[in-house]
Amino acid sequence: MLLKLIGGIFIITACGLFGIAASNKYRGRPRELRNLRSSLQMLETEIIYGATPLPNAFNNIADKSCKVWYDFFKLASINLNSGIYYSVKEAWDSAIEEKLKNTNLNKPDIELLGQFGNILGNSDCEDQLKHFKLFYKQLEQQEDAAVEDKKKNEKLYRSLGFLLGLAVFIILV
Amino acid sequence: MNAGYINDLLKYVPSNLRGMLEKLPDNIKTHVEEIRLRIGRPFMIGGCGKEYFLGRNGLESVSSQMYIVTEEDIKSAVQLISNFSLYSVEDEIRNGYITVNGGHRIGLSGRVVIDNNKVRTIKDISFLNYRIAKQIIGAANKIAGYIIRSPDTVYNTLIISPPQCGKTTLLRDLIRQLSNGLKEYNFQGKKIGLIDERNEIAACSFGRPRNDVGIRTDVMDSCPKAEGIIMMIRSMSPEIIATDEIGRREDAEAILDAINAGVKVITTIHGNDLEDFLRKNSLEKLSKDLFERIIILSRKKGVGTIDKIYDKEANLIFSIDDKINNLQNKQISS
Repeated sequence: MLLKLIGGIFIITACGLFGIAASNKYRGRPRELRNLRSSLQMLETEIIYGATPLPNAFNNIADKSCKVWYDFFKLASINLNSGIYYSVKEAWDSAIEEKLKNTNLNKPDIELLGQFGNILGNSDCEDQLKHFKLFYKQLEQQEDAAVEDKKKNEKLYRSLGFLLGLAVFIILV
Repeated sequence: MNAGYINDLLKYVPSNLRGMLEKLPDNIKTHVEEIRLRIGRPFMIGGCGKEYFLGRNGLESVSSQMYIVTEEDIKSAVQLISNFSLYSVEDEIRNGYITVNGGHRIGLSGRVVIDNNKVRTIKDISFLNYRIAKQIIGAANKIAGYIIRSPDTVYNTLIISPPQCGKTTLLRDLIRQLSNGLKEYNFQGKKIGLIDERNEIAACSFGRPRNDVGIRTDVMDSCPKAEGIIMMIRSMSPEIIATDEIGRREDAEAILDAINAGVKVITTIHGNDLEDFLRKNSLEKLSKDLFERIIILSRKKGVGTIDKIYDKEANLIFSIDDKINNLQNKQISS
């Protein structure tokens, strides 16, 4: 009996933790998108007012960004300086591939960011500014969706995990 | 001269073309003055009045083996030159060239977009010309003596030269020598304000000169000459103002201001001879007697030949044809 009880506790904790992990993804996404927005606002300033070349601009904003984006922009800057890549797009994509795959961002978020890499540095200030404005709009939609998802799913997954564990326990016993 | 200059530029050349340049024999590498990329045309370099074509294995004289530059090559070259950031070189593109580390200048041409009768940008860049800038220490040795008036002051000097005759090289070295001071003339170094609009003389990157322009030189880089001259006089108390390639009306006015403020001026202008300078309408304010020394350069005996030197009254005090070099000593003593 005692053995059963211990096993049951294990199952419930495991499922519970699983649920918490899933709900954390929903909790983290809006925060990361918000941080992305503030990093990009700094990038915009670097580009429009400072006319700083991208490798330096990425490096500068990395230092002022939160963890995920620090890693991402640092790597993007290193990539550009490495001389291996022939366009911003390639360097940008490789940084995405390496640093953003295991974050709370979902696929559409990453695709959106990927497209943005296409235009960075490719035109004059005026044009860059237009692209930034457009990107903020698109980012806003993602952010809204992320907040919505968080509301809907965060608690759901958390309790679902425990309940699932409990259900398995009951069936097994 | 050494091969280092071309190596400076290699990082701005796409890697497939870079490979071909690296295969060049050393004696050609040291003499390269231009690297030319034209879309759909053979890849070419030039130097010392000669042209060479390149192929997969370096130099190539068979036309079917020559490397033809593609659109991709040009695109990636532009990315490399602009450091992946076209917006950061907007103004430079408008002028038709980008200056990179080391003071090398890369000329661009393509389709020009006009906005309000002014060039807004160059789109579809299809022709590139990498011009290798060389700092030659000692280039001004021959003329320094003509420019120094007394151990304490110099003459207002104008250097007239056609393109590619070493005008900038000469000016750069002259600035270096006057700024450091010259023992043989007992000349003390002077504070020099250098307005480097095209960023060719000091070749600053991030505000720091890459070429040696002397220990008493302050550099205002990428600054329009007219504004720069006034700013310099107000803020940095220069004894000599140096600037390159004057041409606009505002430049002439600013130079006049500087001379009236008691600052000596050393500058350059495009042209073949004294008459070319006198004909320039935009510079009518600068009568030729403002300049106490006028130096004419040519390529008669290679790049940087000092052809003639005139004094204030337009008397010839040096001419390569007459070899009246001994006048130099007389000028200094007077």
